[in-house]
Amino acid sequence: MPETIEIQLKKGVLALCVLALLSRADSYAYEIASRLTKDIDMGEGTIYPLMRRMQSDGLVETYLVESQSGPPRKYYRLTAAGRQSFEQQKAEWSAFSTAVNDIVGAAA
Amino acid sequence: MTRAEFIARLRRGLAGLPATTIADIVADHEAHFADAQAAGRSEAEVAAALGDPDRLARELRAEAGLKQWEEKKNPSNAMAAIIALIGLGALDVMFLLPLLMGVLGALFGVLVAVVAVFIAGGFVFAAGPFTLPPGGPLTALLAGLGLMGLATCLGALLIVVTVGVFNAVVWYARLHFRLLKPAIEQA
Repeated sequence: MPETIEIQLKKGVLALCVLALLSRADSYAYEIASRLTKDIDMGEGTIYPLMRRMQSDGLVETYLVESQSGPPRKYYRLTAAGRQSFEQQKAEWSAFSTAVNDIVGAAA
Repeated sequence: MTRAEFIARLRRGLAGLPATTIADIVADHEAHFADAQAAGRSEAEVAAALGDPDRLARELRAEAGLKQWEEKKNPSNAMAAIIALIGLGALDVMFLLPLLMGVLGALFGVLVAVVAVFIAGGFVFAAGPFTLPPGGPLTALLAGLGLMGLATCLGALLIVVTVGVFNAVVWYARLHFRLLKPAIEQA
């Protein structure tokens, strides 16, 4: 079964989206997942392998926050390396999307 | 699927990973169910949205396996990474397997040759001087040392090449194995 272009695209930008969300505010996995599910229609389960990968790559780190209901909640925040990676990926993405838009727009 | 079933299958799929890692992953998913419940979603709905727990477990295991190899390059971690990738059903790796076996076979052949040269060098070093070689006993001693030195160099080179081969496999696998894809498809 060939991968659709949509899946390939989403797979590629997922990490960038997570970095972008975390660059605005620290967050927890459920919140990140809900946001991405709503906006780019991604499977919720995807978030956990992704967050583990980003954590072991040193892009994000976790800390616990006490919650009124239930156990403490695990928050993610960007590390310095994560912030740097975000800036770099953001620049690459914007250059790439501009170039693609020009070509696609010109063809239309 | 209920929350308990989902967690049980996830836990079963993760068996073999360090206990703290399993506890961590299970806690993440428990929290997910709790958050979803607070948002008014049913267990079955959340389980469906999370995807197949067996598949999820395989992806998390594969990730852990690759990470271990990158952190510490030893034979058992190499094996674990390869097995995890095969477990993931990374067909590309399966396709690669015959080629990989050939390369590994060749590397093994070179290893045997290196060991043989080393032993031969030791033999020349130890026994050579007594056989009255041309050039005197000293020549035999030096020749023996030379052979052993050559074998050691080749051995070191072999290790570098082997690590390189595994790095290439891990890189290829990273590029090709379909991490994240099923979860996206189910969305």
